[in-house]
Amino acid sequence: MSVSQFFRRVLLLDLIKGLSVTFRYQQPKHIYTEQYPLERPKIAERYRGLHRLNVNPETGETLCIACNLCALACPEKLIKVSSERDAATGRKKLTTYTVDLSRCMFCGLCEDACSTDAIELTQDFEFALYSRDGLVLDREQLERGPQPTVYEK
Amino acid sequence: MLQYFTGYLNQNVTPGEAGNALWALIYILIIFAGVSLIVMAMNWIERKVLAHMQVRLGPMRVGPHGLLQPIADAVKLLTKEDIIPDQADKLVFWMAPVVIVTVAFTTYIVVPFGRTHAVTDMNIGLLFMLGVGSMSTLGVIMAGWASNSHYPLLGSLRSSAQMVSYEIAMGMAVVSAVLMTSLTSGTGTLSMIGIVEAQKAQHVWFIFKFFPLGLIAFFIFAVAMVAETNRTPFDLPEAESELTAGFHTEYSGLRWSLFMLGEYAAMVAVSSIAVTLWLGGWMRPFPNLLKGAAWDTAFSCFPALTFFLLAAMAFRTFVRMPKHPGLRMEKLGLGGFAALLGLIGLVLLVPPVRERITDIYWFMLKVSVFMYLYIWYRGTFPRYRFDQLMKLGWKFMIPTGIVVLILTALVGLRLS
Repeated sequence: MSVSQFFRRVLLLDLIKGLSVTFRYQQPKHIYTEQYPLERPKIAERYRGLHRLNVNPETGETLCIACNLCALACPEKLIKVSSERDAATGRKKLTTYTVDLSRCMFCGLCEDACSTDAIELTQDFEFALYSRDGLVLDREQLERGPQPTVYEK
Repeated sequence: MLQYFTGYLNQNVTPGEAGNALWALIYILIIFAGVSLIVMAMNWIERKVLAHMQVRLGPMRVGPHGLLQPIADAVKLLTKEDIIPDQADKLVFWMAPVVIVTVAFTTYIVVPFGRTHAVTDMNIGLLFMLGVGSMSTLGVIMAGWASNSHYPLLGSLRSSAQMVSYEIAMGMAVVSAVLMTSLTSGTGTLSMIGIVEAQKAQHVWFIFKFFPLGLIAFFIFAVAMVAETNRTPFDLPEAESELTAGFHTEYSGLRWSLFMLGEYAAMVAVSSIAVTLWLGGWMRPFPNLLKGAAWDTAFSCFPALTFFLLAAMAFRTFVRMPKHPGLRMEKLGLGGFAALLGLIGLVLLVPPVRERITDIYWFMLKVSVFMYLYIWYRGTFPRYRFDQLMKLGWKFMIPTGIVVLILTALVGLRLS
């Protein structure tokens, strides 16, 4: 053991160094903890979360043309689209649209298949429920989109 | 009766010396309540400081900045199911936490919070504290044995070995400080108040006496007291990663909280021994350098100033809290707390109160430095391995302690 090593051990320099490190870390500005329900976490831009069926913001009409492509694209067959023929215009009109979240893996294939950008996966991640019934979203819920509870600090 | 009550206030001695049982009882109640309050506060401070050291926030949800967390914890622990293992030795299992808490609180009888602020002054005060304090090992062993389970038993065995080996080093350090007291009158004293009076008479804290010697003795005691109270880095009896919770693995609810109460009370008690022996007990800083009535008055304003500072901090948080109906109760509570702290500060400015409280303030300030050190160690140092612990105790602390003791005696002989 050299002389300097001996003095390091006797004067406990290593321990004091460690103590100074922990002391310096006490500044609250080092803390990155998110206060979750009070503070929304930053979600990645391309995160795929809860579904939303987009509507035309000006008229409030649905963008969906009931082409059934999303239902065909869904690997788990979770999307059910039903439509009726509008007698006046002769166009297909959307009647019901349901998404079953219970087996959805949020692959985003429905989003890719949609030709009018009607179905979209939003960045909302809070869809825990007390019963399984709520997992099937109907057209009304989908058009309203996710409604996260906002807490204030 | 009234004369019996008020007469004591004019005598400048502890209730024990005055033979006043009523005031002794009042002091015991104040100390009991105060220590319990300190334990609750320590619970919050430890979680908060440790969290900040680990770059976390710590408790934030119960009350502003988690201030009410200790109360929430207490309510949770009291309402928890009290489990006694089927194969446990019921009587001993029941007695173990009681023994630990009783022992931890009994030591406070001789702790001198001020010249007149101790329940009594025994001429063997220090011996009493060390003797009663080391009985907490008995509680630990009882808990480990009565649980009838492997982890608690191993934990309590470790505890007894550790306490036995560190008590010797502790004793050596303590005796060298006691030797220093003999320089004033020719005979040393074991009375806690006498030790502080000796430091006053010699115009020096014993940590600076015979320069490196007092410091080394203090250092040995500072390490041994962490080992005695089973705190990190010497927390082998309750080593979480190896023994789940050590000797209190089988305990839950109220009994477990009694163990915690005993542990923290013992921490304060041992810190107060260190403060009494080496850091001048209740004496204010620089009593020789800055003497005179004016300085005395200035220093006696410190307790009030501390409370005003705390009140200002609480008030600042109160002002900066956002307006929100959900936070109304919290905001009102914090505002009330700030007002209460300010009021206590005002009461402490009144001259008769100020003169009585100043000793207690300086004593508690020195103790709180040690309490912070305990948390700081816990945030910094990893746990010792058991053979390293024994090696440190027997091969380093005890020989150093003996050498310091002999050198102190020799230097003292030369001087007298």
